[in-house]
Amino acid sequence: MQVSVAPAASEDLGDRPASRFRILRELSRKKIAMLAIVFLAAFYLAGIFAPWVAQDDPHLQRLTLEDRLASPTADHWFGKDAAGRDLFAQVVYSARTTLLFTLTVLLTGSLFLGLSLGLLAGYRGGWIDSAIMRVGETLSGVPTLLLMLAISAAFRTRLNDVSFWLKENTFLADDARAIVPFLIIVLAALPFAWISSARIVRSQVFAIREQEYILAAETIGASTTRLLARHVFPGVLPVFLVGLSAGMAGIAGTEVALSFLGLGVDPSTPSFGTLLRNASGVRTFQEFPHLLLVAGIPYLLFIYAWNLLGDALVDIVEPRTFRR
Amino acid sequence: MSQGLAGYIIRRLLWTVPVIIAISILVFLLLRLAPQDPIDSLLGQRYDEEIAERLRQKYGYDRPLHVQYLKYVQNLFQGDLGVSTQHGDFSVAEVVIPKIRVSAGLNIMAMILIFGLGIPVGVYAALVRGSFLDPLVIGFWLFVDAVPIFVSGVVAPWLFALQLGWVDLTYEGVLHPNIILPVFVMSLPGVAGVARLMRASVIQVSNEEYVRTARAKGLRERTVVVTHVVRNALLPMVTVIGLSLPGLFAGSLFVELLFGIPGIGREALRAARGFDFDVVLGLVLFGSILFVLANILIDIAYGFIDPRIRITATRGN
Repeated sequence: MQVSVAPAASEDLGDRPASRFRILRELSRKKIAMLAIVFLAAFYLAGIFAPWVAQDDPHLQRLTLEDRLASPTADHWFGKDAAGRDLFAQVVYSARTTLLFTLTVLLTGSLFLGLSLGLLAGYRGGWIDSAIMRVGETLSGVPTLLLMLAISAAFRTRLNDVSFWLKENTFLADDARAIVPFLIIVLAALPFAWISSARIVRSQVFAIREQEYILAAETIGASTTRLLARHVFPGVLPVFLVGLSAGMAGIAGTEVALSFLGLGVDPSTPSFGTLLRNASGVRTFQEFPHLLLVAGIPYLLFIYAWNLLGDALVDIVEPRTFRR
Repeated sequence: MSQGLAGYIIRRLLWTVPVIIAISILVFLLLRLAPQDPIDSLLGQRYDEEIAERLRQKYGYDRPLHVQYLKYVQNLFQGDLGVSTQHGDFSVAEVVIPKIRVSAGLNIMAMILIFGLGIPVGVYAALVRGSFLDPLVIGFWLFVDAVPIFVSGVVAPWLFALQLGWVDLTYEGVLHPNIILPVFVMSLPGVAGVARLMRASVIQVSNEEYVRTARAKGLRERTVVVTHVVRNALLPMVTVIGLSLPGLFAGSLFVELLFGIPGIGREALRAARGFDFDVVLGLVLFGSILFVLANILIDIAYGFIDPRIRITATRGN
């Protein structure tokens, strides 16, 4: 969808260490970044406290003529969709879906896989490094969306059977119907989620490995695990977090894109992708512009806020890391 | 350089082969182990089991997996990518090539627009850095980057076709002027990335000593910027072209869907939904190999453009 270019530097900040405090201090001076943080906090909080923020039930259908596709009113700020469901509630719950999805992919893919593979590649070097990096390079060369489409299409086939079984036999009960497709798209996103964070961690480890305190720790016989956890990892952390922030919009976009294509979350789970798909079409927009706008604008601002925040952070933290 | 370069290319190709094989096996297994096969999606919900069996025999889906895979690879080396079950047994090449042409045209035009806009924007932002214009320009394009194609792909045709009547929305081929709107919708999100990179590159080059020398010689500022700064700052852009290839595929898919363009993105979506095994596998392999080759070519080109760069085996960072 966009040219995937690592965001790059502004002024050359030299080799100043990227300490956590300096990042926070400089970030607090950037008004636009602070504005972005406030918006993102509001977005995520709305998602977390969705049942309290949205008074209406997002699934409640009102199949009367005046309710279907109703324009925004004082009671229903965002209007209603084709089934008469309150769109404000749907948008708020979509924020929750976005939050859940980004969090899951972030924890499993970027954090767990990316960090461990990056540390391994950077610290061990040699053929392990080559293998990890080549796999990442090739995976990022595969038409990502196509492979994700294939994965989610392949796993969806027995969706009904699996979710029915889970409903009957596990504690998931009625949630099973929503959780299975959710897990499928997480699975589809994972093969690609670790690559950029592993790359960033690896290059940081290369720089840190040469520092004298690492040699000192090695000399007194620290184990590899301890060395990585206590000495290498803290140095990697700031730049790693900045890298994560640059990838957040992309992770959220994966779910929205797949849901837009009908290969994402279950239709009963509110999602920006589903909302935007239902609003798609020039004629639909001509007649019912609120359908597209009420879902499109919050989602757009969400992506924009991450773009701005990522840009500000990259400006602050050692810019060279992000250039290829 | 020649020997190092040849070694480098061979090493990279050698790494590529196992990874591509691994990807093909993975995608192959993924598709074949799914509880549904092309026959199920071909015949729909209710069908005669005997007909299904006969069709499976015809396409060889009844044979053991490793036999199927080896057969696929054997055919691959003879230039046979298999047949499309959804398209009445046309060969994958017959189905895919006309659509690749359309998407390639779309992507090339988008690429030209992205770089044609992104490079001047980046240079401008770098030249006015320090003033309020710099964050304004970059901030604007970051905003454009954030507009989802699902939104711009609806609002732009509504505005320019329905309201203003400037363009027509029917698809009349890649070379017809009607293609302008989809190309714009597809390209605009990419401009910010190129602009940011170009800006950083210009700033970096501006700090080089030869730029100071050029100024000290008393060259006009215009000459310094155009011939000394911008020309050298363009170098990293070569790499970006290679990196942006796979990203464009996704943009292409949504633009094809929203504007009704018969390209490869739509074909891929249809194939993934309908379990058209050979088409999906063919497209994944085609995309991966294209990407790898493009990047190797770009690395080589880089060496020729900038003689300072000596490629080493471990392409650092």
